[in-house]
Amino acid sequence: MRFLGGLGATLALAALPLAGVNTYQLHVASLIAVYWILIAGLNLVVGYSGQISIGHVGLLAIGAYVFAALAGTHDVNSWLALIASGLAGGLCGLLLGLPSLRLPGFYFAMATLAFSLIVGELALGLGDLTGGGVGLAVPGFPPPFASPAGFYELSLALAALTTWLTWNVARQLWGRALLAVRDSPVAAAGAAISVYRMKLTVFVFSGVTAGVAGGLFASLQSYITPDTFAFDIGMFFFVCIIIGGRGGVVGPLLGTVVLTLLPEVVAPLARLGNFFYGLLLLAVVLLMPEGIGPLLAAIAARLTRRGRPESRVVSPDLDRLRAALADEPR
Amino acid sequence: MWPVIVSGLAVGASYATTALAYNLMFSTSKVLSVTTGQIVMLGAVAGAWLMNSLGWPALLALPGAILVGAAFGALTEWVAVRRVLKRSDEHLWILSTLALATMTQQAVALVWGTEPRPFPRLLPQSFEAGIADQKFWLPIGVMIAAVAALEGFYRRTMWGKLFQATSEDPFAAEARGVDTGRVRMLSYVLAGALGGLSGFAAGELTFAYFALGLSMTLNGFIAIAVGGLGSSVGAVAGGLALGLLGAFATYLFGGAFQQTIAVGALMVVLLIRPEGLFGARGMRAV
Amino acid sequence: MRSPLGLAAALSFVLATAAEADDVVRIGWLSSLTGPLSSAAIAENQGVRYAVDEINKSGGILGHPVELLTRDTAGDPVKAVNMAQQLVFSDNVKFVIGPVNSGESLATVPALSKAGVLNIVIGSLEQLTDPAKYPLAFRTINTNTQWISTANRYAIDTLKRSKVAIIGDTSGYGASSAKTAEALLKQMGVTPVYSVLIDANKTDLSDELNKAKAAGADVVMPWTAATGLCARILNTRGDMGWNVPIVGHPAVMALPIKALLNKSEYWKNVYASGYVSTTFQDGKLPERTQALVDVIKPALGGKIDFTFWWVALGYDSMKVIAYGAEQAKSLDPDKIKTVLEHTSNYPGVYGAYSWTPEQHNGFPDSGMRMNAADTFQDGSYQPAPY
Repeated sequence: MRFLGGLGATLALAALPLAGVNTYQLHVASLIAVYWILIAGLNLVVGYSGQISIGHVGLLAIGAYVFAALAGTHDVNSWLALIASGLAGGLCGLLLGLPSLRLPGFYFAMATLAFSLIVGELALGLGDLTGGGVGLAVPGFPPPFASPAGFYELSLALAALTTWLTWNVARQLWGRALLAVRDSPVAAAGAAISVYRMKLTVFVFSGVTAGVAGGLFASLQSYITPDTFAFDIGMFFFVCIIIGGRGGVVGPLLGTVVLTLLPEVVAPLARLGNFFYGLLLLAVVLLMPEGIGPLLAAIAARLTRRGRPESRVVSPDLDRLRAALADEPR
Repeated sequence: MWPVIVSGLAVGASYATTALAYNLMFSTSKVLSVTTGQIVMLGAVAGAWLMNSLGWPALLALPGAILVGAAFGALTEWVAVRRVLKRSDEHLWILSTLALATMTQQAVALVWGTEPRPFPRLLPQSFEAGIADQKFWLPIGVMIAAVAALEGFYRRTMWGKLFQATSEDPFAAEARGVDTGRVRMLSYVLAGALGGLSGFAAGELTFAYFALGLSMTLNGFIAIAVGGLGSSVGAVAGGLALGLLGAFATYLFGGAFQQTIAVGALMVVLLIRPEGLFGARGMRAV
Repeated sequence: MRSPLGLAAALSFVLATAAEADDVVRIGWLSSLTGPLSSAAIAENQGVRYAVDEINKSGGILGHPVELLTRDTAGDPVKAVNMAQQLVFSDNVKFVIGPVNSGESLATVPALSKAGVLNIVIGSLEQLTDPAKYPLAFRTINTNTQWISTANRYAIDTLKRSKVAIIGDTSGYGASSAKTAEALLKQMGVTPVYSVLIDANKTDLSDELNKAKAAGADVVMPWTAATGLCARILNTRGDMGWNVPIVGHPAVMALPIKALLNKSEYWKNVYASGYVSTTFQDGKLPERTQALVDVIKPALGGKIDFTFWWVALGYDSMKVIAYGAEQAKSLDPDKIKTVLEHTSNYPGVYGAYSWTPEQHNGFPDSGMRMNAADTFQDGSYQPAPY
């Protein structure tokens, strides 16, 4: 049922270019889709397994530079380059996660922060690979994905695929195991869940999605420089998830859409920029730590029939009861 | 060679004092606040503002900067820590302190500007003093004084012992009538004051610059993580080690990879010995 | 739940960008008014806005009033690209000035040119103009090469130095400028004796300057736009008592440096690449500069305590668009492109511009002039001694 709903929504969104939407709006919509690819993966790390990663922008940067270097400088086929960026992201996720995931929460957060700063430094310093400060020009994808509408469809398709993957993880036993790990690692370990292995797998997955998102992001921007990947974007991804509500998929998706659109629609916000994100994060943490997603879900449940208390009437099946009572004891 | 060592020690000393502030806040709340670095930044900015824009003499601006730091420490406790700890979710305080730190940094950028602004000379001294220049020795002096004061505080005063009691077992302390909320607030105020002082002392070295906060948060944290949470000696050792490592990395390999080398090397230490050099392995009842 | 909400969001987004009336000429202005290096953008903004007022007072461009659409990019390349796209596709502009930062421009210049928009480039990195790749991009500011070669020629030919120490910073601009500086020096037959990239926040530079001195440097050339770093270089040189000339990037003569110096005489023996238009000649500024200073000074609050060429650059960039349109008798970017490509010595305030079909950098080499840093007055400088 939910799957059909998601499929329907995806098809509706795919029809967007036909609705007379201009190139700029397609650009922003593509940006939302690309961000969501990264955030969906990060959501598993932050929302489900409860690891505070504020440095995922480093993995985005790695994906972007791998794509730009391969597809741009070395003329590799864009699809192969995209796969390579995903793999590079996953590999760096593994390298970062292996040592850091053993550390307690705050230490891990600082390790990811340090990682993103190191990636920034390397992007500047390894000039032969990354173009240094001048950066790299990034090609697009071959037709039919070369046009803005085509690129939008591509990123939408990948975003839908990523959402489906993470939704599956969330719904199955894995998702519950992750939630257990987040809320009580000790109890989870007591229930024979390999806490470390789970965290690492999820983190590597988020690295792959970040890498793919990085490649698409680079192509969308058409030019990348080290200052494109400032710490602020890392904060932004993180805030989208917290605002949307950890432990859900729809919530962070809404959070991403709203927070990406907001500076475009409300011009004064562009000036306040990160102050606003910090304020929003603080407000949510203090007032609605579960995020907006569950809040909206509660409202939605109230409105639909399923949620209303009167509809949850339990009436006994008296005939069956009598038959059961009349049964001979065995 | 000597300038490298002295400047490394000076920068390391400011990291160490930040680490001591982390210790103070952690000791009563088990919270590592992301705002710690911002307190140091505020100390430098407030000092520069009081002395340059308002024309105050250094002797008045110093307590002014300390007060600003203390107030911000109190703000951190009140806004970002107290309510969040009540909900007993393990990591929400990372989010709230991160949010507050971001807001502070951006607010200062909007009001104070994004260019580094001058920090005046505190003590009369010729500028040709080389390695004896006060901009190196003020942070080092403040660090030594802070360590001495903290040790005296913990060992000899009633409040110091209350801090230790609260950090070891808050429930038992409450059972004995200790107002843990007030103790926590006091520790944050003290940490803020210490941060403000540290920022003020390092101002001549760093100029008054809004972006100091984030790197100080990270470096101060690395100092205390490597040195060992809860240990003053660890804070000093970690801070000085990080400062010297950064200075020598630049000296030998140039500035382009300074952060990579310094941070990378210390992360390695953390992996081998997660509790830090002087920290104690914590046992937690399950 | 996702389907209706998603559609609603999309719909409201589409409806929010309705088409507008066609009588005005809309000109986009991408400026990093907040964020790092905003001081240049704010000054340029003054120039641009004053030019718009002036144009509108005399009837607009070809009779159409000019509407300036200012977008604050906050120094973020992602925002710069988004806003450039917004200007072109939602606001339907045909002309864009900026962005200010080279990092943002590297991303927007290709996009704007592809969209058929005339782009006045005000970033200095060489790669930003290319008549073949970006046919509609024209630069009014000088190029980075002009800054660097002017300084190099002064150091080598005028001051007769031969042992150069280059100091760049670890930012994108600093690293690539230092590289270009080395290359240009080698073309003149000079190999630097010392070259280093310093993190702009590094607090103590005595080590680097001591190494430069030990290598026998007789001139230090900083290529960084970071105010703090420039100030520290000057302070360290002064504290060391090393009387070597400093010749380099205009940031080294910006007014905020003065307050960061340990002693005001540390600003002596410092020379930077400046412009004829903002250099006092026998105590007087060039006519056109003085005229602009006089009319715009009241609007700036009665005093000018920032570099004036930024204002002149903004003013000229807007006037060039008006000039091109009037000469072409059309608002079509392609026709204006043809006009501009056959323009020789268009008399702006900041410089006299010439473009050709092969060369889209308009600022002439003859417009460059070395300035002495400690002579700041009302945004302009005295010439460096020859």
